[in-house]
Amino acid sequence: MSLKSIAPGIVLALLAVAAPAMASDYQLLFLLQLLMMIALAQSWNLISGMTGYVSLGHTAFFGVGAYAGALLLQWGFPWWLAIFKGAGIALLVAAPLGVLTLRLRGPYFAIAMLGLNEIGRLVATLWVDLTQGGDGIPLSPARLPTLLQNYYTMLTLAVLATSLIAWVRYNRLGLELRAIREDEEAAEMVGVNTTRNKVIAFALSAVIPGAAGAVYAFYTSYIDPVSVFAPALNIQMIVMVLLGGSGTVWGPVIGAVLVRTLHELTWAQFPALHLALLGVLIVAIVLFLPKGILSLAPWRRRVRPDRAPGSP
Amino acid sequence: MTAAALLEVRDVHRDFGGVHALSGVTLQVARGRITGMIGPNGSGKTTLFQVVSGIDRGATGQVFLDGEPILGLRPSQIYQRGLARTFQLSRVFPQLTVLENLMVAGHRHDRAVRERAIGLLEKVGLREYSAVAGSDLSYGQQRLVEFLRVLMSDPALILLDEPAAGVNPTLRNTLWDMVRHLNGQGTTFFVIEHDMGVIADLCDDVYVLSEGQVIAHGDFETVRGNDTVLAAYFGKTAAHRGTEND
Ligand SMILES: Nc1ncnc2c1ncn2[C@@H]1O[C@H](COP(=O)(O)OP(=O)(O)OP(=O)(O)O)[C@@H](O)[C@H]1O
Ligand SMILES: [Mg+2]
Repeated sequence: MSLKSIAPGIVLALLAVAAPAMASDYQLLFLLQLLMMIALAQSWNLISGMTGYVSLGHTAFFGVGAYAGALLLQWGFPWWLAIFKGAGIALLVAAPLGVLTLRLRGPYFAIAMLGLNEIGRLVATLWVDLTQGGDGIPLSPARLPTLLQNYYTMLTLAVLATSLIAWVRYNRLGLELRAIREDEEAAEMVGVNTTRNKVIAFALSAVIPGAAGAVYAFYTSYIDPVSVFAPALNIQMIVMVLLGGSGTVWGPVIGAVLVRTLHELTWAQFPALHLALLGVLIVAIVLFLPKGILSLAPWRRRVRPDRAPGSP
Repeated sequence: MTAAALLEVRDVHRDFGGVHALSGVTLQVARGRITGMIGPNGSGKTTLFQVVSGIDRGATGQVFLDGEPILGLRPSQIYQRGLARTFQLSRVFPQLTVLENLMVAGHRHDRAVRERAIGLLEKVGLREYSAVAGSDLSYGQQRLVEFLRVLMSDPALILLDEPAAGVNPTLRNTLWDMVRHLNGQGTTFFVIEHDMGVIADLCDDVYVLSEGQVIAHGDFETVRGNDTVLAAYFGKTAAHRGTEND
C-alpha cells in the first residue's frame, strides 16, 4: 500500500479529529452517527463484502454489545472498560457461531444470521430480570461519557474498522477471502482453508459492532430490544457497502456518507419517505451499479484485452 | 512394475442415488509417469477426480497419495500434500486478476511467489494480462491460467480433466509441451483426455473406464486392441462430445 493510497484516509481522519472544534452539538451527533455507520458498514464488508456470505443479522452483535455496555456501566464498570467487554462478548458469541453457521451455503447463512438477530431481540425482551425487557434500560447520566468522548471513541472504531479492511484487503487473508467469494470449491482446491478463513473473518467482523453497540447505548443513554436488534440498521449497512463498492476499502465510507446525508436531508420532512428511498436505492444499485460507485472511478477501469489468442 | 505408485486407488465406490458412478475402481498412477484415463461420456472419470482430490467426500474405498491415506481429507489438505488438479469446466476466479489467480495458489505470499507467477505467465505469453480480471480472458486463456495455477505449488501429482477442451490448437500445443517438459523434470500426471492422438503420444500407461469400472489397462496399443474397450465405445454410446457434466 502506498502513501498515496492512504493519504485521503489520513486527511479525512484529521478532519474528523478537528471537527468538534467547529461543529455544534447537533452536527457532532450527526457525525457521530456517520462514524458509527462507517464502523458497522466496514465490519459487514469484512465478512459479507469479502467472502460473499451475506449477513442479514449483524445487528445481533451490535445489540449484544449495546446490552453488555449498558449493563456493565450500571454495575459500576468504567465506560471504556464496558466498551472493551462489549466487543469481547460479541467476539465470544461470534466465534463458535461462525464455526456452526459458515458451514451453511450462502442463502442459509443469511437466514441463520437473521434468526440470530431475532433470538437476540427475544432474549433481550424476555429476560426481564436482566434487561428490563421491552421497557428498555435508561442509563443514569452521572456515569456516562460525554458527547465528545463518545465521538472520539466512535471515530477510533471507524478508523480501526477501515484500517482492518485495508490490512486484510492487501494481505493474503484478503486474497483468500475474495477467492472464496468467487468460487469456494476452487479456492479450497488451491490450498485455501476456507472454513478457517471464513470463521476468522466472521469473528473479526463481530468485534467492532460489539464496541459500537456499547457506544450507541452511551450516547443515546437508553436502549431497548427493538432499537438495537434492528433489522433496518442491518439493511443500512448492506446498502452502504453495496452502494460504495463491496470488498473495497473506501466504498463503504463513501456509501455511509451518501446514505447518512440523504437520510439527514429527508427524514425530518418525510419520515416515511426515507425508508422508501432506501428501498429504491437498493433496487437501483442492484440494477445499475452492481459493483458500487468506486467501480466508476477512472483509475479503476481495467484494460479489457482483445479476445484474441486462445479462443477456439 | 516395481516403482511404488504415487497415487493408488483401491476399490472406490461412489453412488448418486441409483447411479453407480464408480463401482469398485482400483488403479495406480506410477511416479514420474503420465497416466491417461479414457472412457465414454458418463463413465465416471470426472467423478474419480472429484473423489481423489477431496471435493467429493461421499465415496467409500481407499485412496493413497505417496502411501498415505487421503480419502476424507479436505481438498486444501490434499493440495498441501502435493496433489493439484484442474476442473473439467474452467474455474478461474472471475474477479481476481490473472496474477492474483496464480498467487492465491502459492503456499506463501511474498515476492518469490509473485515472481514465480509472473515467470509462469511469461512462459505462455500471458504476462501482459497480469492485471486483467480472470473473466475478461478468452475461455482458452482461462484454461491456461487454471493450468498455470496448479503449477504454483510445485505439486508432485497433477490431475488434468480434459485440459485442452475448448482451447485453440496453438495454446493446446503450448499446454501439452509444458506437460511433457514438467514430466521430464519429475512431475507425475494423471490425465483425462478424449483425443486418442494425444493419449497415444503422451501417456505411458492408460486406464479405460466404462460404467464406473476399469475395463482395460496397459499401454495405448494394448488398450486400443482390447475387444471390451471397442464394445464400450462403439457398442452402445458413440463417444461423441458435448454432453459434459462436471
Ligand atoms: N453430482 C452428481 N450428482 C448426480 N450424478 C452425478 C454427479 N456427478 C456425476 N454424476 C453421474 O455420474 C456418472 C459419471 O459422471 P462423470 O462426470 O464422472 O463422467 P465422465 O466420465 O467424466 O464423463 P465425460 O466424459 O462426459 O466428462 C454420470 O452418470 C453422471 O450423470
Ligand atoms: Mg468428465
